[in-house]
Amino acid sequence: MTTILRIVLIIVCFLTCYYALYKIRKSQMQIEDAIFWILFSITLVIISIVPHIAYFLANLLGIGSPVNFVFLAVIFIMIFKVFSISIKMSQLEYRIKNLVQQIAIKNHELESKNKKEESK
Amino acid sequence: MKVLIIIPAYNEQENIKNVVNNLINNFSEFDYIVVNDGSKDDTGLICKKNNYNLLDLPINLGLAGGIQAGFKYAYEKEYDYAIQFDGDGQHQPQYIEKMIKQMKESNADIIIGSRFVTSKKARSLRMLGSNLISFIIRITTGKKIMDPTSGMRLFNRNMIKKFAYTMNYGPEPDTISYLVRCGAKIEEVQVQMKEREAGESYLNLKRSIQYMLHMCMSIIFIQCFRKKEKLV
Repeated sequence: MTTILRIVLIIVCFLTCYYALYKIRKSQMQIEDAIFWILFSITLVIISIVPHIAYFLANLLGIGSPVNFVFLAVIFIMIFKVFSISIKMSQLEYRIKNLVQQIAIKNHELESKNKKEESK
Repeated sequence: MKVLIIIPAYNEQENIKNVVNNLINNFSEFDYIVVNDGSKDDTGLICKKNNYNLLDLPINLGLAGGIQAGFKYAYEKEYDYAIQFDGDGQHQPQYIEKMIKQMKESNADIIIGSRFVTSKKARSLRMLGSNLISFIIRITTGKKIMDPTSGMRLFNRNMIKKFAYTMNYGPEPDTISYLVRCGAKIEEVQVQMKEREAGESYLNLKRSIQYMLHMCMSIIFIQCFRKKEKLV
């Protein structure tokens, strides 16, 4: 790994952390969601500071260059994240449907109650 | 002075009746609200049949979301104090009065019903977690909180509003650590707790590890960078 790549990685990680924390300060992001990004950045910073980890793991997997290992790892983590977001989104859609239906039923109950009282 | 007991209940069909009946029969000076957090079992049905004061959430929001619903109710109905009280029979209502008395005397924002003010902690895995959270709160804020994970907490009206309407105010130790840094007055009162009476605990091994990771990350890396809000 070249020094310049390591420096770029560290800077980008700090920016990511800063942005996540900024969103939390403005109450626009939940802590649960920020933790992933902060852990992710910390891991990349550690690899940039101690590139031997990347060398070791690249060697272990038979990947020629440690940079390629870093890219592969990032891609894997991103695919995993997209997958989990996709699952979360389906669940959210299901929950919204559920809520809308419940509200409709509650409204119907309320209205029929009101009508009964009026006709009395 | 109005006090509301918020009882979050998720799949507590075996316990909820005992807990609420005890409150109705022996502690009628306090109001209560059961928040049925989209239980899969008959918790909601039991509450409706017995005519309990009930907030019935149509879907499961998780503990924090359920309690927040209770806080919103407390704020809108103009309660002065709200207490978080488990639906599984662990918490004992005879300590509520002691906590309220302490809150009035010391003018605190939050009173934690703590198991370890005067008694010592037992040595177990769960207490190791509790100790770890105590320790990181202490090094990040300087405040000694003996039982940060206790689920029995009393809040004043100011805190009720914050917890009801602000993002990232989950009723968990990380928020406590943040509030300490904002200058909130947080005290502990010795209480005793029972083992849960029936049913299953929410915390299994996987969830416990997740919970610990979340709390440690949040207290160490996130809460320190949050904007300090003015209380009052």
